[in-house]
Amino acid sequence: MALLEVEDLRIAFGSSTVVDGVSFHVDESQVVSLVGESGCGKSVTSLAIMGLLPKLRKSGRGGGAAVSGRAVFDGVDLFGLSADQMRRRRGADLAMVFQDPLSSLNPVVPIGRQITEVLERHRGLRGEAARKEAENLLDRVGIPDPRRRLGEYPHQLSGGMRQRVLIAIAVACAPRLLIADEPTTALDVTIQAQILELLKDLVDAEGTALLMITHDLGVVAGMCNVVNVLYSGRVVESSSASRLFAEPTHPYTVGLLGSIPRLDLPIHEPLKPIRGSIADVIRWGDGCAFAPRCDLVGAECVAGEPMLKGEAHAHRCVKAEEIA
Amino acid sequence: MSDNMTEDLTADTATAPLLAIEDLEVHFPIRRGIAIERTVGHVRAVDGVSLSIGAGDTYGLVGESGCGKTTLGRAVLRIEEPTAGKIRLGDVEVTSLRSEPLRRFRSKMQMVFQDPLGSLNPRHNVEMLLAEPLKVHGVGSKTERNKLATETLDAVGLPSSVLDRYPHEFSGGQRQRLGIARALMLRPDLIVCDEPVSALDVSIQAQVMNLLDELQDEFGLTYLVIAHDLAVVRHLSDQVGVMYLGKLVEEADSEAIYEHPRHPYTKALLSAVPQPDPEIEANRERIILKGDLPSPANPPSGCRFRTRCPWAQDICAEEEPVWREAATGHKVACHFDL
Repeated sequence: MALLEVEDLRIAFGSSTVVDGVSFHVDESQVVSLVGESGCGKSVTSLAIMGLLPKLRKSGRGGGAAVSGRAVFDGVDLFGLSADQMRRRRGADLAMVFQDPLSSLNPVVPIGRQITEVLERHRGLRGEAARKEAENLLDRVGIPDPRRRLGEYPHQLSGGMRQRVLIAIAVACAPRLLIADEPTTALDVTIQAQILELLKDLVDAEGTALLMITHDLGVVAGMCNVVNVLYSGRVVESSSASRLFAEPTHPYTVGLLGSIPRLDLPIHEPLKPIRGSIADVIRWGDGCAFAPRCDLVGAECVAGEPMLKGEAHAHRCVKAEEIA
Repeated sequence: MSDNMTEDLTADTATAPLLAIEDLEVHFPIRRGIAIERTVGHVRAVDGVSLSIGAGDTYGLVGESGCGKTTLGRAVLRIEEPTAGKIRLGDVEVTSLRSEPLRRFRSKMQMVFQDPLGSLNPRHNVEMLLAEPLKVHGVGSKTERNKLATETLDAVGLPSSVLDRYPHEFSGGQRQRLGIARALMLRPDLIVCDEPVSALDVSIQAQVMNLLDELQDEFGLTYLVIAHDLAVVRHLSDQVGVMYLGKLVEEADSEAIYEHPRHPYTKALLSAVPQPDPEIEANRERIILKGDLPSPANPPSGCRFRTRCPWAQDICAEEEPVWREAATGHKVACHFDL
């Protein structure tokens, strides 16, 4: 059984639906990615799983999110839990690493305290024991001189170090699922390599499952077993990473791969961008949302709803056979 | 001096480079004290860089945050005052220009910024945004300016119907097209592109990179492209310089630098770029650098990269490596031949 099974997730803010029926699953010790460009719904999906989206008020005002569907974690639907039950799981069973470590850490609290807070709440460690464990955690994420660092504030650390602290907090309670939302996007490439290596080591050593939210297909290729490509709130292609990169099937995936300048291709080869922008979309119900930007668009693409077809390598394109 | 400026700079630069930078230094003072500020040190953002760019070429300057690449780009345009060194554009010595001649000379060199929303005035519509550089330099009548704006919009792939729209009405990619259009309005010789695509989505990045290529041919532009993304720089540039802590550590034509990097830092950078191919990713040797960038206020002795270099020897702490030509057109600052 999958560790996390997301079924038919729908998220709407007011009248705009940002996630429109997303299903995927993460198995134990698997690295799964949700990949797509801004506005595809990948981050909102992760926030919904963690129960971090603002709740819809009864009055319907205040900009909350209407979430429906299921997110079954270890046999329990997370969306059915009370706020208190969710609080006990968050940080302990599932944890999250965010993109921007500076705004995710409290600027006026020493980082040691921010780590021991998690240890106190979920593992009941206090005083010297908690401090000792926090030191171990910092050491494990590769921060030199951890004892001294415990007393420092986030602004005293570099971007890479802050991200390490965030990872230390996330793995403090040995969660079974770690969600990383663009964990290296704000970092330089050599620091990105360090952080990805660290995440890989943690996942390998502990058997933690990792859900990686990213826009970077390079990161996906190096880290992930399974890839779900999102476009305009739906999964358009889903398969093992090796198959997705070898035989991309959905025109959007093909377009993304063609847009990336690659170090292994002949120099100055023109890129093949996708035309238009994400603003050019039609509703999924009226056809394929990608149709306005697709080079292969035909009459069948703008009539009826394209379904996700296939098991191991699924795609949502009525013309997929033609492409293959 | 002022006579030189009005000449067409591209006229007789077949042999001489369009832009020549010599021993450029930009130091920022660090001040302490409450009532009386004292200078207690300097951040050596750019610390002795020489490079040249031929007319119609693209020079890619690559490095990580804090290496001084943006400061260098801004110093070229005199947005940042150089502490020492010379910058020559065509046959004009930019560093010696003052006040009015400098202001007029700015029409020859323009900049495209990273954040298109932050660099476009939200209260100006497209017509005003594009006409402003022309007004500042007193070019053309209102109708001529409008005609030029329409032509330039066409060149960057936007319809003239957008003239009365405001920046917030555009997508990120369209805004960057506007930023490029504005830089083009005065038909400059040199455009400094500071992270021109890093704020954009992958599919839009490719559109903008292709556009920069097309415009270069159409308008005979020379680019200084500043970016942290090695694949982007490789794609756009004829020549690439790698910066570390205010200095160039390697420079070569882009084919050579990616095929045969000679400096350990370049090797590490290249090995760190994630490739969209699981097979390449699974099989490659990654050089993981330890630690972070040292402070540019107090750079390490000898070779600046030695504190993070996996191959560092004793000599690296004692002597600063000379900037030498390791192969034809391939310069490197390292004691060793790697």
